[in-house]
Amino acid sequence: MDITTIVFWFLSALALFSAIMVITRKNPIFSVLWLIIVFFAISGHYLLLNAQFLAVVNIIVYAGAIMVLFLFVLMMMNLENLPVVNKNIWMKFLGVISGGLLLCILVSTSKSAADMNLKTIIMKEGNIGLIENLGKVLFTKYALPFEISSILFLSAMVGAVVIGKKES
Amino acid sequence: MNALILSAVWGIILMFCSILVKNKKAIGYIAAFGLLTILIGNIAETYGTQITHYNIYPMLLLDRFGLFFNTIAILSVFIFVLLSLIEIRKTGKYEPEFYTLIFFVICGITILTSYQNLLMLFLGIEILSIPLYILTGSDKKNLKSNEASLKYFLMGAFSTGIMLLGIALIYGGTGTFNLQPGTHSVVGTYHGISFLEITGLIILMCAMAFKASVAPFHFWAPDVYDGAPTPVTSFMATIVKVTAFLAFFKLCEVRVTDTLTAVNWKMIFAVMIVATLFIGNITAIFQQSVKRMLAYSSIAQAGFMMYAIFSLNDVAKEGLLYYAMAYSLATIGLFATMSKIKDYSFEGYNGLAKKQPTLAATNAIFLLSLSGIPLTAGFFAKYYMLASVIKTGSYTWLVIVGVCFATISIYYYFRLIQAMYFKTGNPDTIDHEITPFFKNMLIVVAVFIVLLGAFPQLLLNWFYF
Amino acid sequence: MPILQLLSDIPVTGSTTDYAPIALQLFFAIGFIATMLIASGLIGPKRKTADKLENFASGIPSHGDARQPIAIKYFLVAILFVLFDVEVIFFYPYAVNFKGLGWTGFVEVILFTSFFIIGFIYIIKRGALNWEE
Repeated sequence: MDITTIVFWFLSALALFSAIMVITRKNPIFSVLWLIIVFFAISGHYLLLNAQFLAVVNIIVYAGAIMVLFLFVLMMMNLENLPVVNKNIWMKFLGVISGGLLLCILVSTSKSAADMNLKTIIMKEGNIGLIENLGKVLFTKYALPFEISSILFLSAMVGAVVIGKKES
Repeated sequence: MNALILSAVWGIILMFCSILVKNKKAIGYIAAFGLLTILIGNIAETYGTQITHYNIYPMLLLDRFGLFFNTIAILSVFIFVLLSLIEIRKTGKYEPEFYTLIFFVICGITILTSYQNLLMLFLGIEILSIPLYILTGSDKKNLKSNEASLKYFLMGAFSTGIMLLGIALIYGGTGTFNLQPGTHSVVGTYHGISFLEITGLIILMCAMAFKASVAPFHFWAPDVYDGAPTPVTSFMATIVKVTAFLAFFKLCEVRVTDTLTAVNWKMIFAVMIVATLFIGNITAIFQQSVKRMLAYSSIAQAGFMMYAIFSLNDVAKEGLLYYAMAYSLATIGLFATMSKIKDYSFEGYNGLAKKQPTLAATNAIFLLSLSGIPLTAGFFAKYYMLASVIKTGSYTWLVIVGVCFATISIYYYFRLIQAMYFKTGNPDTIDHEITPFFKNMLIVVAVFIVLLGAFPQLLLNWFYF
Repeated sequence: MPILQLLSDIPVTGSTTDYAPIALQLFFAIGFIATMLIASGLIGPKRKTADKLENFASGIPSHGDARQPIAIKYFLVAILFVLFDVEVIFFYPYAVNFKGLGWTGFVEVILFTSFFIIGFIYIIKRGALNWEE
């Protein structure tokens, strides 16, 4: 086992464990903190795949900015006085079944897909994820989606003002 | 492309109207004028006049079908805005933003009618949805509106995540984001099609069915439609839903035909149709509130639009355009009238025919059209849908199911007609808001529906012209 | 890879191993802090009295709950920050390809940025950044 494999398995285990911790914590603040660890683990994976730009963006935007937003939302609500919701046991049961079915399908798909066999992930090499190549593709082939995404940003800005600003 | 650029520009203009225009009454008219220019721009493009010749091909492809649908959608938005001018003005300080968001939704519509790349599908769905989350919560003081907005946002964001997962799997299976999958060259896959692609497609279909509120992904619709401010409900339940269907259709037209050897899509769609029709129609019967009844009725109508996605032939294509027009116009009219009535329950409509004969008469036509009575547009819309199934030659029992549920739907639509005409009461209407202009608009819409019903070729000839 | 080699000047190859020094630095930084915290906890003197264990509130007796809901105005600023943060991210791939993309890329980025500037003017004029009291 070389060092890449060890790092890969370590990061995968860390990501899965933290993800489970996110959804099992009672206190949402802890969930958010575990989620940050998930993001870091995923960023590690991006690094292994040689997608450094994605790794950095993932940390800056997700672990940095969006997590702060999550915490803000949690702080806006009065968590102390939240009524305890008694979830129906059958609902939980059904949730487990439907989620498990999706898991089964995804696992069996990726196991049985012939185009997945005999293929390994390109680790440490390949230069698709490098910022230079990403930029070239983004500003030539995907220029139109890039421009159109600014409309999405504008509507988000308008929305933030409409929802968040006091009406007076 | 004309419509996309113009609607983005008008969205920005309306943004600045909130700062620059002091006369509050003017804003609605500015927006209506903007819609008119977009409409003209789109029709001009249909006949070959473009603002720019920027090469958009691998991302978007503006074909006749998409452009014609744009025309229908923008026309519906135009009528919607003219009918709800007063309601939108009542949203208060953020009226210009309301129109801005509507213009941005039109951007999303134009993308969804012409996308050739799954990334554009995703972007279009997002531009379509995010303004709607905000519009749903635009009545900030109303708890129901807040709840609806939050529910819609959480569910919608989750379904978008599912959609991305599907697109990623399709990318894994085919190695391209293009709508056209290209050649299946992978050896040893299931019927020549990658498992990843099939799984991804199924997941993507779930997300699209969610956006179009098709059972079993309809559960958000009644609560959101009920809680949202009435003009927003009208917008969401008609134009946006129909656009989601068109995007769904475009996706299926390529991908389903391509993977028919591997997956029994017809069976899946047949089950979805029957479930949607059943849930929509049967639940609508038991509703006491007209708004909620229309919410369930919109699910039922989604079931009928699913027939187009089931058959995926030329008749279905024409039928979808026709259905979009007939359904949108009738529902917009009904919601516009409802926002003038104080009590949304069936009792609130009692005796409307005596007090407001114009409103009652036009609403009766809209309801007749929705239930599919001959001589109205709704009849031919349903006819096209069912005819498309017959043309495929398989699953003809779906036609019988469709006719049965259309018959059931008559019960709850006629209940409202009965309340308006045959029951006595004094409905509380907001009288000073029912202007002659509003009445005339309703009459125009009703006449249009009857014309479409009497001469169905009117619309489709124009499509081929 | 021996550590000494890591510390010497390695030419940038564009692969992940370039980041090994950063990983090493992170490792040492976290390790140092963790060691210090644990060590001071173990070695330091402990006198646990009721007064010592109370939350410190500048000498006055603490009262109320610290978990008050915060105002939405903080959130509005935060969400606007995220939008512009994401915009800045797009400049990074552009900056790397600045020369290669030429005027086409320049026009694209100017168009994108002008949308954002329009949004920014709108936010300022609409008073979204005014601090409501």
